[in-house]
Amino acid sequence: MKKYWYIARNTWDQTFAYRISFVIWRLRSILQVLTLYFLWLVMLPRNATFGGYNQSLMLTYILGTSLINSIVFSSKTFAIADEINEGTLSAYLLRPMNYFSYIFVRDLGDKALNVIFSFVELAILFFLLRPPFFIQTNPMYLTLFLLSVVLSVALYFLFSVLLGFMGFWSRDTWGPRFIFMQLLTFFAGGLFPLDLLPRPVYIVAEALPFTYLLYFPIKIYLGQLSFLQLAQGLFISGVWVLSMYGVVTFVWRRGLRTYAAEGS
Amino acid sequence: MTKNISYIALSSKSGIIFFGLGKVLRFAFFIVFLLLLGSRTRSIGGYNLWQMIFFFLTFNLVDIASQFFLREVYRFRTYVVTGQFDYILSKPFSPLLRSLFGGSDIIDLFTLVPLILFIIYAMTKVGIISVIGVLLYVFLVLNALVIALAFHVFVLGVGVITTEVDNAIWIFRDLTQLGRIPVDIYRQPISFLLTFILPVGIMLTFPAKALFGLLAPSAIVYATGFSLFLLFLSVCFWGYALNNYASASS
Repeated sequence: MKKYWYIARNTWDQTFAYRISFVIWRLRSILQVLTLYFLWLVMLPRNATFGGYNQSLMLTYILGTSLINSIVFSSKTFAIADEINEGTLSAYLLRPMNYFSYIFVRDLGDKALNVIFSFVELAILFFLLRPPFFIQTNPMYLTLFLLSVVLSVALYFLFSVLLGFMGFWSRDTWGPRFIFMQLLTFFAGGLFPLDLLPRPVYIVAEALPFTYLLYFPIKIYLGQLSFLQLAQGLFISGVWVLSMYGVVTFVWRRGLRTYAAEGS
Repeated sequence: MTKNISYIALSSKSGIIFFGLGKVLRFAFFIVFLLLLGSRTRSIGGYNLWQMIFFFLTFNLVDIASQFFLREVYRFRTYVVTGQFDYILSKPFSPLLRSLFGGSDIIDLFTLVPLILFIIYAMTKVGIISVIGVLLYVFLVLNALVIALAFHVFVLGVGVITTEVDNAIWIFRDLTQLGRIPVDIYRQPISFLLTFILPVGIMLTFPAKALFGLLAPSAIVYATGFSLFLLFLSVCFWGYALNNYASASS
């Protein structure tokens, strides 16, 4: 157990070794939230509603997805493809630990750091902007919200790892990852709540796993889902996680067969 | 991660195609977002839907054009760190111009052409515009490129002194992202800051407002003076940086 603690701590040390880059990464996150925040503030005066959202719910959605974003999407798994292509994966395979556990703990360390900074940033934004934030007080919604965030973390981790495993067959993994991130940001509800989309498009978006990364957790927090929708959503998230785990382990085994430790 | 993305995008043709496609998707998704807003309301912060789209198109035009012309700046850190910059200095042409314009990529041009066509189409949709409005728009877009140029010169200067280039560029690009929508939409004092201190408003909101006939002549004079002053300062800083260059890497 102790070795995994050191892995998480190493992630912090690595991040702080490039602290200017990290601070700028966080600054960029704030700037990205500001555009959407002010746009919705203008769109939704105090007593107006837009597609079933009043100002308080919409601004909570924007700030809430920003926080969930920092938990779910902060990841070091983008390095996997480079580790495969540079042959440094060999060093991890020789160590007395499971590679999946290693990359997961490395991610947890990164997430912890991002979450701490994200809380501080949001606290500053709250102090400066004083948004009419919706506070959920129902313990059931809060518990299920946390559960859905845990499932989101697992699902994104598996997606990102799968993209990293492309490195077994291709050196060009950043391009597909960039396209994936654009699709993911939109279909996860990173720009606006997905239920604002026209009904047919929303049905398509809902069928995709990305919905469960941002949109579903924040909808639970806002208390806008029925018991049936909650149960169904959590079940589908769980099925996606298990399916993706199966796919990732299969691809890992196939990838290792082709791995030649080239470059090490 | 973003740094890696930009390096890969620059280093392989397939990378450029993937990133080009990704950028098209990002562009399309934001347009969908604006259409969604426009479908349920007549005005967004006092602007109609096509005017909002026009602001976003102007942001893209300035962003892509500055990347097209100034792409070499993204490689500058490597030149300084590896000592290749000494080789550039020894050549009988301006190291500043070489470092700014030495590596334009034709792929960016493929994105620019449809974008300009889209802008021309959007001009027919935004409402009544005049020839003077169009001329002022072109002038202020060029003015925005001068500001982008000044900032990149400043970044090169910082790169010579500290070898730090990427973060400075990303801050600039993220600040300009705030100009995807008109800066008047931001609450005070952010709106004031983005207009008069950080030149996001001058670069990205002023051109479209001039086209719509909503910009005061004094603002055009201010924008021109600001960009020229900024360019002057950045060139002075470049000279200062060169004088202090230690050539430590070679």
